[in-house]
Amino acid sequence: MQLGIFSVGDVTPDPTNGRTPTEAERIKAMVTIALKAEEVGLDVFATGEHHNPPFVPSSPTTLLGFVAARTKRLELSTGTTLITTNDPVKIAEDYAMLQHLADGRVDLMMGRGNTGPVYPWFGQDIRNGIALAVENYALLRRLWREDVVDWEGRFRTPLQSFTSTPRPLDGVPPFVWHASIRSPEIAEQAAYYGDGFFHNNIFWNKEHVQRMVELYRTRFEHYGHGAADQAIVGLGGQVFMRKNSQDAVREFRPYFDNAPVYGHGPSLEDFTDLTALTVGSPQQVIEKTLSFREMAGDYQRQLFLMDHAGLPLKTVLEQLDILGEEVVPVLRREFAALKPAHVPDAPTHASLLAAAVSETKNEEVVA
Amino acid sequence: MTSRRIAVVSAGISVPSSTRLLADRLAAATASTLRERGVDADVDVIELRDHGHELVDNVLTGFPGPSLAAALRLVTDADGLIAVTPTFSASYNGLFKLFFDVLEPESLAGKPALIAATGGTGRHSLALEHAVRPLFAYLRALVAPTSVFSAPEDWGAGGRTAQSLDQRIARAAGELADLVAVRPAQKAADPFLEPTPFEQLLNGS
Repeated sequence: MQLGIFSVGDVTPDPTNGRTPTEAERIKAMVTIALKAEEVGLDVFATGEHHNPPFVPSSPTTLLGFVAARTKRLELSTGTTLITTNDPVKIAEDYAMLQHLADGRVDLMMGRGNTGPVYPWFGQDIRNGIALAVENYALLRRLWREDVVDWEGRFRTPLQSFTSTPRPLDGVPPFVWHASIRSPEIAEQAAYYGDGFFHNNIFWNKEHVQRMVELYRTRFEHYGHGAADQAIVGLGGQVFMRKNSQDAVREFRPYFDNAPVYGHGPSLEDFTDLTALTVGSPQQVIEKTLSFREMAGDYQRQLFLMDHAGLPLKTVLEQLDILGEEVVPVLRREFAALKPAHVPDAPTHASLLAAAVSETKNEEVVA
Repeated sequence: MTSRRIAVVSAGISVPSSTRLLADRLAAATASTLRERGVDADVDVIELRDHGHELVDNVLTGFPGPSLAAALRLVTDADGLIAVTPTFSASYNGLFKLFFDVLEPESLAGKPALIAATGGTGRHSLALEHAVRPLFAYLRALVAPTSVFSAPEDWGAGGRTAQSLDQRIARAAGELADLVAVRPAQKAADPFLEPTPFEQLLNGS
């Protein structure tokens, strides 16, 4: 089980004192948070990608490259990479480059993005969201897997004799997750390729998450990548912890009530019941997170949203300490004990490289 | 006897509400007309007031709470819809609009519907035609030609007016019953059980 964090990268006023960090402060805070993630023993740091205020991370590989240079072990990911409005050629190049610099500690989570104007700003139309995700990703896969690509499609200028450089590290493309909150087509896409499927269940109720994951698992098996329970599933989560759960609720409530995404809507209590949010003691976080497994089956990646809605850096770092000291070791132990042997771990560069090497050897034996 | 499901959406605010009263009469008339045509009607009434908080929450968070989700499903799975709103500021009220805003797109496409409204004066009656009907045209519902507006005087004993409300209800219910009876029972397509195969998505269809 990979346990990590993902950041939206929002610049939001702290509702308790009205203070808004500068972009510079927020960007440096994201780096500090990523380094802290490694320090407290987490496995993954993922950054969002946005092209409009109040968000800072428009250039994920710059951020992740910087973090890669200052970490040793942390897997670097995205949450999400906009497969719709980015040129797939540039994604192929940027992330292959990052892969080399980070010694393979890179994977991507593809998403469509839901900010209407971002599409026209990048010359696209939001009504083509699914079609863009399908075509762009099909091209991206070829760019990473074929040295020379001839290609023609609907959304991008054709390519003749194009080679995306650098080639993926060791000839192994980064592992890809496809993230979608509500589109069955994206679960279908992930299943078709045998890629991972990530559901950011902090924004949706568990019955729905269950259906999306179930669809992905069924279709993963349908396309012959393994049994349904061997499909690669990732889930979101969102936590705020204090030793006493009442303290956690009291401290987090103003951030919840004013949060950009769900603020001024449901009560903290209702939202906690309906979604993956947990505000309480570390033990409550452990119990809720383990319950995700009952909903989605044995899964491979759990990412927590920790730094958003104007929470000050100091608080976020305290939260990461609690997560690393009191929650993650228990979750690691419990998830490992529950997972049957035939359920794989999340693919990494090392595991994909080993699989590629053994495949080559098998082919040689056959030849 | 075959059967069809009728969902009744009432956006009345007060309790008891004349909007609900009108909705119940339209539902009863539709059910009895369907029975005359050999069709059993299962009627589900959704009082939007009961889902007030969840409607606002859904608009803000993008997903429905459990009781609203059940109400939305009743409408999506219904063979016919009766939608009744009080007239606020010459149009449907906010509660009514919120409900149809959070309903999944395409849910009403091709679905027979009857629209009705209550109002403080008969001078509001065209709100049905200039506000409610265009909303359902956008949602591509199959709206019965007769819409039913009731003003306070319709509820009185004033012979001619009261009779004329009865007639309008009967005519509208007859139209809805006809539209519902001739169509096969609704079977909601489930994208989770029958996903579009990926090859089809790749081929751009």
